[in-house]
Amino acid sequence: MCANILPTDITLASQNADPAKLAAFEARITRGEKIEPGDWMPAEYRKQLVRMISQHAHSEYVGMLPEGSWITRAPNLRQKLVLIAKVQDEGGHGQYLYHAAETLGATREEMIEALLNGRAKYSSIFNYPPLTWADMGMIGWLVDGAAIKNQTMLAHCSYGPYSRAMVRICAEESFHNKQGKEMIYRYALGTPKQKAMAQDALNRWWWPTLMMFGPHDSDSPNTPQLARWGIKTKSNDELRQEFVDETIAEAHLVGLTIPDPDLRYDEASGHWLIGKIDWDEFWRVVNGDGPCNKERLAARNKAHDDGQWVREALAAYAHKSKSAI
Amino acid sequence: MDTQWPRYEVFEKERPDWPHRNAGSVHAPDAEMALENARDVFVRRPHCLSLWVAPASEIFSMTAEQLAGFDWRSVPAGPDSEPYLVFQKQTQRAAETFVVHVGEVEARSHAEAMSHAVEKFGSGGVFVWWVCPARAVTRSEESDVSAMFAPSESKPYRQPHFYKVIAQLREIKSKASE
Repeated sequence: MCANILPTDITLASQNADPAKLAAFEARITRGEKIEPGDWMPAEYRKQLVRMISQHAHSEYVGMLPEGSWITRAPNLRQKLVLIAKVQDEGGHGQYLYHAAETLGATREEMIEALLNGRAKYSSIFNYPPLTWADMGMIGWLVDGAAIKNQTMLAHCSYGPYSRAMVRICAEESFHNKQGKEMIYRYALGTPKQKAMAQDALNRWWWPTLMMFGPHDSDSPNTPQLARWGIKTKSNDELRQEFVDETIAEAHLVGLTIPDPDLRYDEASGHWLIGKIDWDEFWRVVNGDGPCNKERLAARNKAHDDGQWVREALAAYAHKSKSAI
Repeated sequence: MDTQWPRYEVFEKERPDWPHRNAGSVHAPDAEMALENARDVFVRRPHCLSLWVAPASEIFSMTAEQLAGFDWRSVPAGPDSEPYLVFQKQTQRAAETFVVHVGEVEARSHAEAMSHAVEKFGSGGVFVWWVCPARAVTRSEESDVSAMFAPSESKPYRQPHFYKVIAQLREIKSKASE
């Protein structure tokens, strides 16, 4: 469910790499070949991928929490089944991605440890609270919609395991996105009270969703390098603009208002131009001071600690079976 | 720091006429639990007919690039010959497909199995090779199919086409333009 490419500090790529190997590597990427575990790759390529994939995995994992909190309060059985399935998918997506990061030499132990002790970053969006049931629809429509933009791009990335994880994830996220749309259309076209709920949810999730795409291109100096290596083939602003254009058209059709007084349609370019994003808020939330950062981390730690006895039981069972043979 | 247990590679067979294909990996304390975890992680949706798991430590992997620089003279051989499963990545296109099961060879070591595999199955158009001793693979049983994989068939709400939102939006659009 995540996007949020955090800025990175790629210094001059692969300064120490063998120039012939680097040229061959880049030629492979230009030819559209996938790089697979075991193939030669610049240290910086590996490092950037581990950073991106592990952050992405953590985001999926933490992404279970905001929606998980509404499972017991789903208004009917169908909605409850859908929400449980969706939360379960997010857990699965985390697993696909941890696997992809492991193929680059990162260990599961290190990654989980970094998440639990607060060192690792994850998408800022999950530090916002879902306050009403309409938020369950709005998260599917906006947050999953934004994530799919990013993930569809990454499905074409040059690293085989990451691209394959993304193909699987995109197929599953499509269900998440559509169940959200279904709910929002119903509310937006429903009773005045339902419509007000949908509008209220849009007002609260619109700006944090736009922040998921990460800082403006002018503040993302690494995008050209990541593009050259076939990791990110579209920039943050390009993806954000695609999302904005599609989503605004849809919002207007169902009679919802985008909470942006500066929003205007630019005839010349055919794009919607949005007002100023509050980047101070973005950095505050990324750096640990969002509405729910502490709660999310505490919940993950509690889940990990509460699962201790299960891990111990499984280990004891495996040990016993082995000694029985 | 908690240990996350050994990694098992997971192979999934989705259709009767398809081979087992690598889906990813899971961590588990033993092969039995690895199969259960693989079901939970990779079979939330139809269709799955069979799952295999194998400890990652038992799999010998080579990319085409590694194979090109490999010195076959240094291949060590064990005392006894045994069957190995051979897997190949055969295309750069289908992004979802990594290595698929193509057959078996007899060999006395992982490296020897690799050299036999390349001989037997040809190296043209192969991007990644995996070999794994057959004894290291744990397979779901025919009798497990209904318990392990059938539940995913009865959850149509996990499929995007369950939600008719595209048609709905089209209808809203045509009403708006009236």
